[in-house]
Parts: sequence; C-alpha cells; structure tokens
Amino acid sequence: MLKIDNLHAEIDGKAILKGLSLEVNPGEIHAIMGPNGAGKSTLGYVLGGRPGYEVTAGSVTFDGQDLLEMAANERAAAGLFLGFQYPVEIPGVSNVQFLREALNAQRATRDEKPLSGGEFLKLARAQAAALEMDAEMLKRPVNVGFSGGEKKRNEMVQMGVIDPKFAILDETDSGLDIDALRIVGDGINRIMRKPDKAVLLITHYQRLLDYVKPDFVHVLADGRITRTGGAELAHELEREGYTQVAA
Amino acid sequence: MSVLDLPSNRAEAWRWADLGGLAAAAALEPVARADAAPYFLDLPGARLLFVDGVLDEGASDLGSVTLAQLAAGDHPLGRRAGGLGWLLRLDGQAVTDPVQVVHVATGRENHLAAEIVLGEDAAAQVVETYVGAGWSNRATRVELARSARLMRAVRFLQGAGFVSVRDEAAVGQGASLVTTFLGAGHAGSRIDGQIVVGEGGYAEVGGALLTAGEQKQECAVRVRHAEPNGQSHQLWRAVAADRSVASLAAAVEVARHAQKTDGEQSLRGLLLQRTATVNLKPELEIFADDVKCAHGATVGELDARALFYMQSRGIPKPRAQAMLTRAFVADSIERIGNEAVREAFAADADAWLEAVL
Repeated sequence: MLKIDNLHAEIDGKAILKGLSLEVNPGEIHAIMGPNGAGKSTLGYVLGGRPGYEVTAGSVTFDGQDLLEMAANERAAAGLFLGFQYPVEIPGVSNVQFLREALNAQRATRDEKPLSGGEFLKLARAQAAALEMDAEMLKRPVNVGFSGGEKKRNEMVQMGVIDPKFAILDETDSGLDIDALRIVGDGINRIMRKPDKAVLLITHYQRLLDYVKPDFVHVLADGRITRTGGAELAHELEREGYTQVAA
Repeated sequence: MSVLDLPSNRAEAWRWADLGGLAAAAALEPVARADAAPYFLDLPGARLLFVDGVLDEGASDLGSVTLAQLAAGDHPLGRRAGGLGWLLRLDGQAVTDPVQVVHVATGRENHLAAEIVLGEDAAAQVVETYVGAGWSNRATRVELARSARLMRAVRFLQGAGFVSVRDEAAVGQGASLVTTFLGAGHAGSRIDGQIVVGEGGYAEVGGALLTAGEQKQECAVRVRHAEPNGQSHQLWRAVAADRSVASLAAAVEVARHAQKTDGEQSLRGLLLQRTATVNLKPELEIFADDVKCAHGATVGELDARALFYMQSRGIPKPRAQAMLTRAFVADSIERIGNEAVREAFAADADAWLEAVL
C-alpha cells in the first residue's frame, strides 16, 4: 500500500531523513519510535506534502502512484490521512464547515456525489459520539479554545468522518490523560483496524501501543530505520532507552 | 469646480488618498447603463434608482423618501455634492421598511447629496449599492434625535472608476448608528466620515475593503465623543491582493468632559501577496480621564500552518485560502442586522474571493 524507498529529505538545507525505507501492506499497523530529533515528524510531513520539506532522493508510492508528485489535498483524496501532533486552530471556520468542505472536496476529486448537509451532520454526530466528544463542539471554530486532549480527539473525529485508507498519526498520544488515551486508542482500532486499511503510528512512548497493538515496530534514528521488530520491541525500548536499542 | 481642485496628499488626512485615480475616474468614457435590478434585494420598502446621480422615477418607489435641495458642507469632496438630493425624514416613533438605493454610474463624474433625519425613537434601515463606472461622489448627512436608530449598509461594486463618500453624522442622546461598508468591486474608493456621538450614544462604523489588481481603497473615519457615556466601535478589515493598496485610518476623539466613554478600534489587514500594501493608522485623542478605549492594528498573511492543515484534509489550496480570507472578514460583515442584507454582502465578498483566489 505504502512503499518508501531510500527517502532523503531536508528542511532549509539541513538533511533530516537519510535513506529511509519502509513498506506497509493493507491490514498492518506499524509504529515508528525514536528519540527526539530523529526525523519522526519530518517523515509524517513529507508523506503529507507539507511545503518546505524537500525530498532530495528516493521515492514514495501509495497504491502504486507516485505520492511525492501529488499536492497535499490530492494525497488526502487518494486516501491518506495525516493526524497532527499539534492540530491547528482556525478562527472563524467551524468544525462542521471545515469537515464538510474537506469531505466533499475529497469526494469531488474521486467523482463521488457530495453529501448533503443532513447526511453530513448525521455522520459527524455519530463520529463525535463514538469519541465521546460533545456534538456542540462541532459548531465551534476548528480547535479554537480546545484543550490538548480535545484537539487530539477532534483529529480522530475527522479521521472517522473522512474514513481514510491509510493514516499517519503523529504523536496522537501526546497531551492525553489515561481516559482520553483509551478513547483515542479505541477510535483508531474502530476506524482503521480493517483488512483493507493501514496505519503508521509515530510515537515517542509505547503507552498508546498498549491500546493499539502494532504488527511492526521500527526504530528511527538519525534519519533512517535502524531496527525493526514486533510489538515486543516497543517494550524493550521503554525498558532500555533509545540509545541502547537503536545503536 | 474641476477635478484639479482636489486636496493634496501632503495633508495628513489625505495622505493615502488616490487623487490621481479619482481624476482618472472622472475622465472615464461613457459606458452602457448597467441593469440595476439584480442589486435590489428582495425586501419591502422604498427603492431608489439613481443613474449618474439623477433619480430614475419610473424605476423608483420613493416611499417616505422625498427629493429636496440639500446644502453640502465644506468638505473638499463632499461640498461638490450639494443640490437636489434624497431626504429620508422620519418623525418621532416612526419606523420604516428598509430603504434601498442603487447608484448606477455610466462614466464621467456624478455627485449627489443625501440626508437622513430621524426623530425621537424613530428607526430606519438604509442599504446603498454602487455599480457601473466613473467617479461617483456622495455627501450624506445623518441626524439622529434622542433614542433614534439607524442601520446603514453600503457596498461598492463598481467595475471601474472611483467611489467617494463623505458622511457627517450626529448621534443624539441614547441614539444608535451602525454603518457597515463593503468594498468588493474593482473601483477605487475613499470613505470619509465624521461621527459625533452624544450623551449615551452608540456608534459602530466599519466594514471590509477588498482590493486587487492596481486598485486603491481607503477609509478615513473619525468618531468624536462630545458627551459622557458614549460607546463606539470601529472594526475594519482590509484584504489586499496583487499590487493593490488598502488603507485604514480610524480616529477616536474623546472630549474633556466625555467621561465613561467606551471606544474600541480594531484595524486588521491581510496581504494575499507580498506585492500588495495595507496601511493602518489607528488614532486616539483622549482628553477625558475616565474612559475605556481599546485599539488594535495588525497586518499579516494567511497562516501557512492552517493552509497546510486544510489541504491535508483534502481542501484544495485556493479554496482553503478563500475560507481563511472569508473568516478574516466575517466579523466585519456579521454586524449587519438585517439577514437578507447580510447574506447579500457575504455573497459579494465570496464572489470577490472566488474571482481573486
């Protein structure tokens, strides 16, 4: 589904990813762990198509298509979802307006009919309820005045409404208390744990992995993957630290 | 009087005025008369159609409006508009349906005066729309008696030329004046205003100037609190694209005995390209000691993080830019009380964004 081959990327002339290769197949959940500054978030942004991140070598294909050639919104329409470590506040644009616009733009790119206001609201309310988010919050401006945990929950509501094929979730566990962690973890499993979908979880700690069991754990250090293992690798990292395991 | 008798940019109040643009507009060759029908909103009440400053009686329904000889003040532009103009005069307690005025310009220059005089507790709404091409120059005098209420909404949709308006308003004791402007056409503009707020009076003046191409639009508005306990809000938004220039100058003046005045100014500019210019000049002149006056002035660009966030959810970049820009101007238009008018103005702003982004 996603194939990254020898990816090199830099920001402002500084090399961050230095030959990263990774293959994710349908039905798989991969966790990428690593110390701060290893390039975890950069990987998410490069895959999402954020301006300013320059790919200098390597390739990325998504369902056989050249992902790096696509604009950020085209990647979304192709089924890619990027969950942000720091979801952005957008004053003056309500969650409902934002999400409906996003969903219908994606549907238009795929030659599907737009959802009506009523259909959309029903869908959004159901996703909010599943993530124990008050439906009233949907009327508020995107992420404005939301707590850290509410913002992450809102990311999951968006993921539920958009229903992507592939989700890259960047530090989705940061800023969550233990109850919110369970709710968000359940959300990821419910929305994404399916034979035709896949997830790349980018995380610093293994605690989210107690709720979302990964099939593969990769250690990212200094811009490339230095080790790959099963779920047990996360525990090893937690016990022994990155410097021991990644080396 | 010729266009050569214009003020000079050396005078502070005219610093950003596009006087050359004004003279060029006055020289515009005649153009075909635009159809005014689409600009009248589906509202009850009087409808006035002025073509080059002259009432088209067949196409108008004056309602409680009359035509009268009106004196103009001594303002350098406004004084040109003296003569036969339209007058809305309401006695105490009277309430009228919205008065709609559409000004169609067909090239060259045209001038027109207006007066809105509301008696005690009277209430009125006025909606004005400018379309066509040429130099349209207006002088409007507003006089609100005790507890009178006027809501005005004015939109500039001329395709070419220049619109200049000079407003002089006296807001009586406990009276309320809310004026909202929208510049969403392709013509240059200057909004020149002087509002004097009486005891316990309320004045809101603001709006959005959307400029593109080589266009120049500006406001130069002064609110003077002459008596205690008054409130005023000046909320202006400017969006500038290409090589256009939008300038916002808003002043609040609080007289020595005008204690407990509450004045607020918010001037914000958004540059869609770095070749565009937004000038802001908030001015406070406070001579009383027990007042609350807040002011803010900022110019910026669209938030790149928000743009990427929206794109990452599937929204194409031009649409994301339009949504963020629309959100930026939203609060300046949302102050329009009448829903149909508010929606029409919002649609004009959307059409502008659609064309520019």
